[in-house]
Amino acid sequence: MWKYKKVILVKDTDTGKETVRFSELFNSALRDRGLDGEVQVVRPADINVYDQGIVVKVMPGNITYSKVEEKDIDLIVRKSIKKEEAVKEIQIDPKDKQVRIVLRNCGNIDPENIDDYIAVDGYRALKKVLEENNRDNVIQEMKISGLRGRGGGGFPTWMKWDFAKSQKNDTKFIICNGDEGDPGAYMDRSVLEGDPHSVLEGMIIAGFAVGAKKGYFYIRAEYPLAIKRVELAIKQAREKGLLGNNILGTQFSFDLDVRLGAGAFVCGEETALIASIEGKRGCPSPRPPYPSVCGLWGKPTVINNVETLANISPIIYKGGVWFSEIGTKRSKGTKVFALTGKVENSSLIEVPMGITIKEIVFEIGGGVLNNKKIKAVQTGGPSGGVIPEKFFDTSIDYESLQNLGSIMGSGGMIVMDEDDCMVDIAKFYLKFCVDESCGKCAPCRIGGRQMLELLTEISEGKATFEQVDKLKLISKAMQRASLCGLGQTAPNPVLSTLKYFEQEYIDHIKDKKCASGKCESLFVYRIIQEKCKRCSLCQRNCPAEAIPGDRDKGYAVDQKKCIKCGKCFEACKFEAVAR
Amino acid sequence: MKLTLNNFDEEAKKGKSHNNNWIKVGLSTCGIAAGADVAFDTIKKVLQENQSDVEVIRVGCAGKCYAEPLVEVKIEGMPQVVYGKVNEEVATKIVQKHVLGKQLINDHIYLLKDA
Amino acid sequence: MAKAFINNIEVEFERGRTILEVAQQVQVKIPTLCKHKDLCATGACGICVVKLEGSNKMLRACCTVMDEGMKINTHDPELVEIRRTVIELILSNHPNDCLTCGRNNDCELQTIMADFGIREELFNKIVKEIPKDSSTKTIELDPSKCIGCGRCIEVCQNVQNVWALSFLERGINTRMAPAGDIKLGESPCVRCGQCSAHCPTGAIFEFDQTRNVWKLLQDPETYCVVQIAPSVRVAIGEGFGYPVGTNLTKKIYAALRRLGFNTVFDTNFSADVTIMEEASEFVERFVNKKGALPLITTCCPSWVDFMEKYHPDMIEHFSSAKSPQEMMSTLCKTYFAEKNDIDPAKMKVVSIMPCTAKKYEISRSEDMFSSGYQGTDYVLTTREIIRMIKQAGIDFNSIPEEESDHMMGDYSGAGTIFGTTGGVMEAALRTAYNFVTKKNLPKVEFENVRGLKGVKETSVMINDIEIKIAVAHGLGNVEYVLNKIKKAKENDEPLPYHFVEVMACPGGCIGGGGQPYGVTDEVRMIRAKGLYQDDEASEIRCSHDNPFVKELYKEFLGAPLSEKAHHLLHTKYVPRPEYKK
Repeated sequence: MWKYKKVILVKDTDTGKETVRFSELFNSALRDRGLDGEVQVVRPADINVYDQGIVVKVMPGNITYSKVEEKDIDLIVRKSIKKEEAVKEIQIDPKDKQVRIVLRNCGNIDPENIDDYIAVDGYRALKKVLEENNRDNVIQEMKISGLRGRGGGGFPTWMKWDFAKSQKNDTKFIICNGDEGDPGAYMDRSVLEGDPHSVLEGMIIAGFAVGAKKGYFYIRAEYPLAIKRVELAIKQAREKGLLGNNILGTQFSFDLDVRLGAGAFVCGEETALIASIEGKRGCPSPRPPYPSVCGLWGKPTVINNVETLANISPIIYKGGVWFSEIGTKRSKGTKVFALTGKVENSSLIEVPMGITIKEIVFEIGGGVLNNKKIKAVQTGGPSGGVIPEKFFDTSIDYESLQNLGSIMGSGGMIVMDEDDCMVDIAKFYLKFCVDESCGKCAPCRIGGRQMLELLTEISEGKATFEQVDKLKLISKAMQRASLCGLGQTAPNPVLSTLKYFEQEYIDHIKDKKCASGKCESLFVYRIIQEKCKRCSLCQRNCPAEAIPGDRDKGYAVDQKKCIKCGKCFEACKFEAVAR
Repeated sequence: MKLTLNNFDEEAKKGKSHNNNWIKVGLSTCGIAAGADVAFDTIKKVLQENQSDVEVIRVGCAGKCYAEPLVEVKIEGMPQVVYGKVNEEVATKIVQKHVLGKQLINDHIYLLKDA
Repeated sequence: MAKAFINNIEVEFERGRTILEVAQQVQVKIPTLCKHKDLCATGACGICVVKLEGSNKMLRACCTVMDEGMKINTHDPELVEIRRTVIELILSNHPNDCLTCGRNNDCELQTIMADFGIREELFNKIVKEIPKDSSTKTIELDPSKCIGCGRCIEVCQNVQNVWALSFLERGINTRMAPAGDIKLGESPCVRCGQCSAHCPTGAIFEFDQTRNVWKLLQDPETYCVVQIAPSVRVAIGEGFGYPVGTNLTKKIYAALRRLGFNTVFDTNFSADVTIMEEASEFVERFVNKKGALPLITTCCPSWVDFMEKYHPDMIEHFSSAKSPQEMMSTLCKTYFAEKNDIDPAKMKVVSIMPCTAKKYEISRSEDMFSSGYQGTDYVLTTREIIRMIKQAGIDFNSIPEEESDHMMGDYSGAGTIFGTTGGVMEAALRTAYNFVTKKNLPKVEFENVRGLKGVKETSVMINDIEIKIAVAHGLGNVEYVLNKIKKAKENDEPLPYHFVEVMACPGGCIGGGGQPYGVTDEVRMIRAKGLYQDDEASEIRCSHDNPFVKELYKEFLGAPLSEKAHHLLHTKYVPRPEYKK
């Protein structure tokens, strides 16, 4: 048996420095009352409340206090320990902002054991569907749910299914798009590794709804564990009669195979993905025809993202109405985000649509790393844009994000602080798209590369405002004339940084300055004479002999010779080199 | 045994039920990269050394990337706890102090659920 | 039929047509650099974008099917600006070598630049130096001039089924190249040149040998003989502003003499000789059961190359008769040289061909040297001879007509239709009928083998015996015919065909890889019509009736398939692995 009856969690959520002192204070208060044998005072690493001073949580009862002062300790012990009451004045009620539908089983069940999945109501949605044996009902339920594609586009899932269903063709396919490729995004990997059966079940139900007998998991080869677990899940599902011929003893047959992607980002685009499965060069083709009409090997094909498919089973099992009550008017349900960047708690979160960026960053993410000043949040990866702090109260849904010049995307959310240069950020994302362009269409192939040249000129202080005009000109041509989503959206990071952080561009162009200290070519190294101890380290480390002088006269940087390598800056022990 | 519409409910119940006392280790790519396999092995080893029958379960990622490797512990009568940043030392502590010593461990709790 | 609107003009259209095609019905030309009427759209250039009312996305006119009621705007300031930007981007990725480029004045990129009035380069030049590849000595790849339209790959893979060309690398480094980044000469390329005929720029070009020919013509010691292939006469005019399909045989003779050729012969004559040999071969196999059936024609060097690479098991079916080009050249250096007392060592034979593969044929095996010398010395494509005539300052349009040199310059109607799909078959049947029945056909035309259907299957009766035939053109269509033959052989079933004609290029030689640019099915039909009219106008319609052919056999060869004929006019085939090391 447990030694104690209760726990008091104590944490200083501002600086962390007071945690130990306060927990000792609680301990002595408990000792004073002879309660130290009954209550354990624990210092947690995270108490899930941030920037609220000393936070104290009493369990069981889950009574939480914020901004606790020394004087409150006695009261807390008296009220919440001796009795089961709360000290109302300092009590807070922190709500878990997350709603876990897609991630419902991640971290809870053994992904390599089908029984674990079945034990948490797994495959019950499939059973329900096969019992009812009505394809229209499935699509109707999906329509009621309002689920939209989670890969980024936000196209209503039921419509995709309905198009494919209405095609008169004996052969149809379901494809799970697991070619997750946005920098900093790992939602799909986590789902495939943590709960592969939920995706399987979604695919089987989709197969039933549209009349497909065969499905493919398209997973990038860089996800070996996901591949292993999906393959295992397929094997186990076959053994249980949940895949293959006569599923659950009915007339419905459906089977799945895994296809590996070789890591080209563009293969996440559905027509390129299809080409890749067909064994061709992974290049997109013009749409229409859409895959739901003419897809894999010319057959009607539904391509859904991993996260979309993981939503299917709960929707069918609990009903479309239940799902549609979560979220906003036009964006239903939840969205999984990979929250990364300059944020305290880098994490994989699932939040209801309609939540604000502020809630995500500050209440779930615990705020900005190292208490720096936040600048923006980037969503949608290389197809998205930056959202500056002034719009942090915007609700997260497909339309609002688009109105801000970004997109929902597949779920990358990167927090940026004052040290991030927006020109540099734009360059980073654009470079990604330039590297990943398949090269098929001219606007993307050449346009992307030219934009990168222009941005490089800006970041190196070699540009005039003409470069900005050209950036806008190419952006427009790429957005309108590129063949696929990659090229059409590649200018977004540039346009949105230009829109919200124009001043940074002006600084780079006019003043040749990068306030965030990212653009190396704009650094001007100089020696602060007041701090210089004349140790000569900078001179000895300079590879360009650009620091003349001696110990008597002191040192100075010859700007004409300086190659901006930063060796002097790193070498100086007295912070006497400024840049 | 193949499942059918008829035997589903019955068979579903027969599935492997877990021990009341268990330790879940987040063994996805993210966890493994942070050393979750070491934590997993250590916990198993120390439990064995102490002839404990607590079950160790492999699970996916619980989402708290900043605190990987994550280990969730449920011991009857005690609060359910998610420990983070579990290295070999902490893993040993979890068995010795939490499982065997019935005490919660400082500085590594990331989530505490009512029992 | 359905209705829609292009720039507010109502247009009635056949369902399934693209916006680009429907727009042409109302005289609206939407610019494009990648779409070729002949090929499936790739959607690569992004210039043909148009607006659809009610949608904020722009559509590619080349590959979007027009729908009932669509309201399309093809030209507004925004569209023009976007097109211009895309064109400027393409320019930034293309070398400024126009003045020294083979496509100067005949380049789709140049034309579109001119139309859009591009006067300066807006963007930095990003052009990668990629070495040229002229390893085939027939077509030359210059990837730095490639604009990535994908036409060459589309035609190589999906029309010709050769799969020699593909895209390599990605992003800005994307380039067309032989698959596996090997030399084209080591690839399965069959040198048909369809890539060069469809390339909008100078990225794929015939291996130019005009300078070599100029050198011959300027050498007083050399006796220069020239021959022109059947299909050249109805295509050359396109280079001088004549309507497509105009037959300019006699102007060509005149121009060639002005260029300095000592003797002007016509490949149509040797086509007649080919028929004598090939029809005899067919009769030998069909009536006398000596040799494998079906007999397959071998006038087309790309087809021969394709078969040796991909279907060497079919070698026994190939006619051993050399192509008309090689028969003519061999006869020049033997028969003609002998009769006129010319030292064949000092004689050079140049042939004017619609074809890039003919440049390869002249040295493809030792049989091409059976006269004791290399039969044909140089091959010029139609495009090359047009340039030479212009260089020589010959006013082609007003030059008076002349006759060929008679010894091997006169031809029958059967010889001239060699230049189009079905023509060799038709010519052969005319003579084979005579060889079997000793009578001429009452009606010499075989309509069933004419036209542009990919595979034409029919049969003819000779003496109450049915001869089943197939005519295929475009290498992609050959597979069907070969599979049928192979399957019948495997299962010991009756032969599906007795006689098969194959030409590698769609439409046959009139659509050859060395012909003037811009070929489409419409153009092919008109060029072919030119040849059929030439046939109809001929007094002599059958090869065996050509008096000069008769004389050749009487004076020199003896009879078809004689030992001498075999030595000079026949060849052998060998399996060639698809990829050389």
